[in-house]
Amino acid sequence: MLRPPTLPRRSSSFETPRVGVYKVFDREAKRLQKDFAARRDGGERSRTVDYLRDEVAERLMERFLDIKRKFDTIIDLGCGPGHFSKLLEPNKTRKVVMIDSSRESLYRDPDEEFDVEIERIHADEESLLNILPRQSQEAVVSCLSLHWINDLPGVLVQVKEALKPDGLFLGAMFGGDTLFELRTALQLAELDREGGISPHVSPMTDTRDVSNLLGRAGFTLLTVDTDEVRVGYPSMWELLEDLKDMGEGNAIFGRRHFIHRDTLAAASAIYKEMHGTEDGTVPATFQVIYMIGWKPSPTQRQPLERGSAEMSLKDVL
Amino acid sequence: MQTQSDKVATPLRRLAIHSTTTCSAEATAYGKCILSTYLDVRKDTCKQEFEKFGQCLRQAVGS
Repeated sequence: MLRPPTLPRRSSSFETPRVGVYKVFDREAKRLQKDFAARRDGGERSRTVDYLRDEVAERLMERFLDIKRKFDTIIDLGCGPGHFSKLLEPNKTRKVVMIDSSRESLYRDPDEEFDVEIERIHADEESLLNILPRQSQEAVVSCLSLHWINDLPGVLVQVKEALKPDGLFLGAMFGGDTLFELRTALQLAELDREGGISPHVSPMTDTRDVSNLLGRAGFTLLTVDTDEVRVGYPSMWELLEDLKDMGEGNAIFGRRHFIHRDTLAAASAIYKEMHGTEDGTVPATFQVIYMIGWKPSPTQRQPLERGSAEMSLKDVL
Repeated sequence: MQTQSDKVATPLRRLAIHSTTTCSAEATAYGKCILSTYLDVRKDTCKQEFEKFGQCLRQAVGS
């Protein structure tokens, strides 16, 4: 009797990932980092590094003010201490619901600093639909929190599901060129000193991908634009210190938990030589992608049918 | 003033100070070496330059 042929066992030199496909970031480590950062020196350290998020929140607010609509309630997803929510005025919204996975960040600043009514929800942004019912919200805003999300397409779908028809999604997130100076300096230092590289700066979403992601999640009338915030530091060390105080330390799965001192010193020298400016400081670039998307609704203006124009564009121009 | 702050600072802080001030000449020499070969950096491409930098750091941090 013939035995059924046994299939050769699939073997691979790669270790099977212990976590799901989308798990790039260690969310629990990130939460601890954020909590630690917001608690350090009673919140003082965290407040001194608000400069970056406050700047981006203001730029996002400019885009928000361009939208001529008054809202009753807005969701601020991944709000931190409320950089964006603090800028909201009662003539644009009555109330804001702040959601963040770091409790310490969420409660860092007192209610008096806000001009509109606030509600705080301590929950994981990755499971938004556990917090908000479907079709319940007029607007969801996210200011610089999406770069730590593992399943970005999934979260965008959840945002769309939580919105009512014709609801607004407005977001700002760090783009792929963010911290390229630090990334290159660390890579070169590790290559020369240790002969290999490991991840220290997160992979970040490319600008080109964002409109595809929004479209795939089901948003329409998309607007995506980018700009950069460049900050000067005395040296790489102050940048690392500030990133830590922002709660923006490395949280990639499989990260090395320390960098050898020689490698750090080497990276600092390379950073200065490669990117340093004439006044002796080193720049750090933060690329920010701004995005606006709307949940489709039959009441929205639709594009006219092809060929239905009654006037030639040539006559108008 | 610097020695005063050295005593209270953490080891990492000391490394930060010395790598950018005391040993800045050695740091620059090392950085320039990497920059001149940065399209083809391998292990120990700039070994000599780093040894000088490292020696300076050890002396400065140790003192």
